[in-house]
Amino acid sequence: MDTHAALYQQGKARLDMLRQLKARTPHSLENKMMENEITRRDFMKWSASVTAMLALPLPFSSLVAEAAELADRVPLIWLHMAECTGCSESLIRTDTPNLDSLIFDHVSLEYHETLMAASGWQAEENLEHAMEAYKGRYLLAVEGAIPTANNGSFLTVGCKGHTGLEIIKHAAEGAAAIISVGTCAAFGGVQAAHPNPTEAKGVHEVIDKTVINLGGCPPSEKNIVGTLMYYIMFGKLPALDMFNRPKWAYGARVHDNCERRGRFDAGEFVEEFGDQGAKDGYCLYKLGCKGPYSYNNCPTERFNHHTSWPVLAGHGCIGCSEPNFWDDMADFEKPLGRQLLHGVDATADTVGAVILGATAVGIGAHAVASIFAKPLEE
Amino acid sequence: MSHSATHTRTLIFSPAIRIFHWFRALSILILVITGFYISWPFLVAPESNDVQVQSYIRFAHLVFGFLLTAVTLVRFYLFFFGKSDIERRSIQDVLSVKSWLVQLRSYLWSGHLHKAGVYGPLQFVTYAAISFAALFICITGLVLYANVYHLGMGGMMWEPAAWITAQMGGLAEVRIWHHYLTWVFIIFTVIHVYMAVWSGIRFKHNSVDSIVSGYDYHKK
Repeated sequence: MDTHAALYQQGKARLDMLRQLKARTPHSLENKMMENEITRRDFMKWSASVTAMLALPLPFSSLVAEAAELADRVPLIWLHMAECTGCSESLIRTDTPNLDSLIFDHVSLEYHETLMAASGWQAEENLEHAMEAYKGRYLLAVEGAIPTANNGSFLTVGCKGHTGLEIIKHAAEGAAAIISVGTCAAFGGVQAAHPNPTEAKGVHEVIDKTVINLGGCPPSEKNIVGTLMYYIMFGKLPALDMFNRPKWAYGARVHDNCERRGRFDAGEFVEEFGDQGAKDGYCLYKLGCKGPYSYNNCPTERFNHHTSWPVLAGHGCIGCSEPNFWDDMADFEKPLGRQLLHGVDATADTVGAVILGATAVGIGAHAVASIFAKPLEE
Repeated sequence: MSHSATHTRTLIFSPAIRIFHWFRALSILILVITGFYISWPFLVAPESNDVQVQSYIRFAHLVFGFLLTAVTLVRFYLFFFGKSDIERRSIQDVLSVKSWLVQLRSYLWSGHLHKAGVYGPLQFVTYAAISFAALFICITGLVLYANVYHLGMGGMMWEPAAWITAQMGGLAEVRIWHHYLTWVFIIFTVIHVYMAVWSGIRFKHNSVDSIVSGYDYHKK
């Protein structure tokens, strides 16, 4: 049996097992699609495109469709840490609910602070109940960084005042798999940018389990849903890259698949926003595009129902899915080789210190030399 | 009619050392120029985009990058296993405090430079440092290269390159170290040329000539 056939059998067995479990709501995905006027045909097209995105052969698309329908069998706990909720927003806030947002609605979401009706003690109870009832088999998704300074006291959540650090450690214990959604959860994000007073860290740095990192500020809805689908289908983690990001999404640089790559190779660069080159779609490298250093599938998957993505809209990539991107990729509108060391004045200060320091050394050396130097007539 | 020679000559640098020195110099020169283009594409776009300007410059950068990598490896090998021990002897001087003082004083126009090998201690340490800088810039270059070409050698380097990228904190870090290290070579080259000429004048020997012809000349 080749690897794909074996994987197919594995997925099949897993979905048969899930089918035995109780559905969370009587509402099937089919009903939900009907309510939103999504046809069966649209659904099959969606399944095929998710299959392709996950780099699986086409026969798997029936498996993807099945997994989508069974998504309500996999309990999902979604925690919010130090973050802006932008990752959730990017997934749920669509003017016409498409299949991605529908799957997110359909998945057995046991706890999600933004979406749930409960609040206060009741919310806390829901979380505790979910973690107890589904111990060892829930999927844990985390949004936001974990502040660790002062024993994590820079972030407390809920009526019991637990720190984010406590909650994440507790929740991670009983999780079957952990997904860091967005750059903050994955690498610390803006909270962890210099000087990082709260010592915010990515989830994987505070717990000792494998965490799937979905970098991006926000990550595209495709990458979130694709990871969910993969886990539902196979019950295990996909192949991961050097920073534990799924290879099917983060296997190539933005630069590798960019529609403006030909302009780059030809040496055609936009010199300033709004010039003729910009109108002709030239490469944005000289305006600071960080696509060459960023692994993501933005050029192929795009955002908002495949509508657009930053470079198509005329601004360079800022490398938001990379570790430490706020510090490493700044200035966002200058290439790396032209970045200032710090701010303008601080950079001038550093340069000044080097020049004056070198001068002091030079004067010192000359003074010492003139003590030792032999007189001219010798 | 016969002339008696006024100078004697001694062989300092073997042909291998000289050839690799100039290969290295050539590759550094071309890598710096093409590297600055890659960092900030300063050429105006051609009339037709059939002319792949960036691609050709990248091609030159990659080819000379491989040359520099090869020379760096060969020079590490030659240092340890070359027939002549003229370079290795300098380690004695590096370990001697007296030699350091003698060399530093001689650089301050006081006294002569006496050394066991071909290099003074400060010179030796500088060359060792630049050799390791070359190693580091070659490694970061190869990591960046593994992202440029995914088949053949580039493909074979992918796994170690990904590991190094993770250790350095991302491809942007790799890139910026590669960029800063360029400046180490530029500053080194200026000081190196100055010191070669200066020490030839100051100590009346042919230091620049010896890296071309291999010989140093002394008056009889």
